Amino acid sequence: MANTLESQSASYRGLTLVWMLTVLALFPILLILGFFMRALQADYMTKLQPEWFYAVMTLHGLGMVGIWYVGSMAAVSYLLSRYVKPSLLISKIAFGATLLGVVLLLASTLIGRLGVGWYFLYPLPLHSKGVWPAWATGAFLGSLAVLGVGWTIWSFDVLRAIAHRYSFSTAMAWHYLRGKSEPEVPPLVLIVTVSMVSSLAGFVAAVVLLALYLLEWLGGFSNDALLMKNLTFFFGHVLVNITMYLGVAIVYELLPAYAGRPWKTNKIMALAWNTVLFLVMFAYLHHLYMDFAQPQWLQYLGQISSYMISVPAAVVSIFGALLLVYRSRMRWNLVSLLMCFGVMGWAIGGVAAVIDSTVAVNVRFHNTLWVPAHFHTYYLMGVVLMILAFAYHLGQEGSKMTERMGLTKFIVALIVLGGYGFLMMFYYGGAHSVPRRYAHYPQEVSQGVGLARAALVFISLLLVGVLLYLWETGRRCLRSFSASSASS
Amino acid sequence: MERPIVKLRSVCLAGTVLLSLVTSIQAQNQTLAGLPDEERYINRALPDIRAHSERTPDLRLSDFWRDKPVLVTMVFARCAGICSPFLSSLKSAADSVGGLGRDYRIVVLSFDPQDTPADMTAVARHLGIQNDGWVFATSHPAEIRQVADAMGFWFRWDEDRHQFDHPAMLVGVRNGQILRLLVGGTVSPVRLREVLDEVRGGFVRAYPLPGKVMFRCFQYDPATQRYRPDWGFLLLFLPGSVALFGTFWIFRTVRR
Repeated sequence: MANTLESQSASYRGLTLVWMLTVLALFPILLILGFFMRALQADYMTKLQPEWFYAVMTLHGLGMVGIWYVGSMAAVSYLLSRYVKPSLLISKIAFGATLLGVVLLLASTLIGRLGVGWYFLYPLPLHSKGVWPAWATGAFLGSLAVLGVGWTIWSFDVLRAIAHRYSFSTAMAWHYLRGKSEPEVPPLVLIVTVSMVSSLAGFVAAVVLLALYLLEWLGGFSNDALLMKNLTFFFGHVLVNITMYLGVAIVYELLPAYAGRPWKTNKIMALAWNTVLFLVMFAYLHHLYMDFAQPQWLQYLGQISSYMISVPAAVVSIFGALLLVYRSRMRWNLVSLLMCFGVMGWAIGGVAAVIDSTVAVNVRFHNTLWVPAHFHTYYLMGVVLMILAFAYHLGQEGSKMTERMGLTKFIVALIVLGGYGFLMMFYYGGAHSVPRRYAHYPQEVSQGVGLARAALVFISLLLVGVLLYLWETGRRCLRSFSASSASS
Repeated sequence: MERPIVKLRSVCLAGTVLLSLVTSIQAQNQTLAGLPDEERYINRALPDIRAHSERTPDLRLSDFWRDKPVLVTMVFARCAGICSPFLSSLKSAADSVGGLGRDYRIVVLSFDPQDTPADMTAVARHLGIQNDGWVFATSHPAEIRQVADAMGFWFRWDEDRHQFDHPAMLVGVRNGQILRLLVGGTVSPVRLREVLDEVRGGFVRAYPLPGKVMFRCFQYDPATQRYRPDWGFLLLFLPGSVALFGTFWIFRTVRR
């Protein structure tokens, strides 16, 4: 596999390295913003206005969701180019749109102090009550529009590239369902096809959402809050799920190379990922359990979809990964370790998510720290580790630098210890009904202050681990980029 | 050459549809501009002003809401416009729903400084109202203004027509706190029953704010206490449908 990867055009590798270096540069900044939020909750910055917490929360949330989405897209586009040819130009356009979107987002949050959270729940962006100026709302909606357009085109192009080689039924591995295994479809192609169709749906939801926001902003009428919330979480949940699936696609493609065994598409895998395509459109409904105006049958649909979506994709992939590694001649290094811990994080976060998507539990856990606990688990300790593994793999592939296993183990230990310690403070707080999104905890929930202080210790460990990882990966990527530029 | 023309036509058509949509929304908003926004007034306290009627010359509003909820509305006796039809529809709805006087009261306040308690009694007589649950009263202009401001009601004298310009609305009040605003020229029994449920302490899950919202997901029917899907619900099927059609289109086009 390594030989095939090396045969990719230098320019494609160069652009992927640019994507990865951008993601890796933004990651520690956004991580520090997370540290800042917990420091504020820990009462270490009592003089700071709470508005800063919400502005930073918006930037941290949207920034993290955005960078890992583009990171996963860049990674799978690169890996996909083993089989099909995604357009380099479109990837460049997506990169430009992402940069512009980030600039607008930075302006709206850091200068305008827009504090609507990453899900910008209606009607908050339109009702600042003087906390942020109107231009900040404009810049924020503009940022979403630019990002949405760039990423939609990117998704279309990836589908176009797949369509060049595979028919839709082949790309979706429908022939496996009929018991045939020819033509062979790599799991990467199947998962990316499912993900791209789903992401298009998410982006269309975002377009409708933004159009309704604009009509209200310019036309002055009111939107239906329930419709806006449905559309917001349709878009948001799908985007986050897709990022997760693309991360898993990376594992499907890279892990076999380290395990020394192939990981091929089969009937169960085909069934699992086809089910995902259907269920991913409905799983978001668990975000609306508290909206009593939403009919009960939709709430049940949300719970059933949330349960069922975990089974095919997660269970099949997790068991598949375990079987792949079990008794294999595994080549353990930073890539394989991060991928395995990433799959583990996905599993743990998935279980926490299923718990929270149970209506009877959600009544207690809604808007407590359990919510950031579960999504940080499958993000930070799941898909992020998978993409970090890819970035290191990419850098190492081009630079061929010697890996120091002692340092590798130290980095992984710091990330895992810091990450799970930080998450435990969220989980413990959530189980004890400590609310999320409080800039300063009032006396009634002062437990949150102590938990935030403990979390800071673990975030510091995580940060050190991430910085060491960045040092190791960054110089590999830069050397690889230089080599790639020289050869092109 | 035909294809660009067809595309241009499609773009023009889409633009026209969008423009007409925005224009119709703006036109609708202009007609709604004078109506109070319920969200701004819910849970506000209604000032406990003095009220004078022929039957009870000197009482306070709290005397009416102390033992049972009240519905408050504002009219003026010489109104040649909405007041009389509005009160007629309210009477008709109250007769249909029942319980007036026993479960709740309706307080009709005049906002015209020239109206006297006798004028208000004449209004009641003109409408054939005899139920003791109705209270037709006046108050001091400054106090009337306080009540009007608290519930989002406005009125201004139109010198040309020699009439007050004002909306028609009914406010549901329990223990002096505003719980609902029902805005519009007519009161249907279904809507009145829903307001009464709420002021009596019942839980009304959802209700529409008339003409204000486009693309509502679900409409709540208080008569059946059920939701029925509305246009907004169809919009939720749009993302999945567009994505699937887009995907099939890509695969068909590229494969050709």
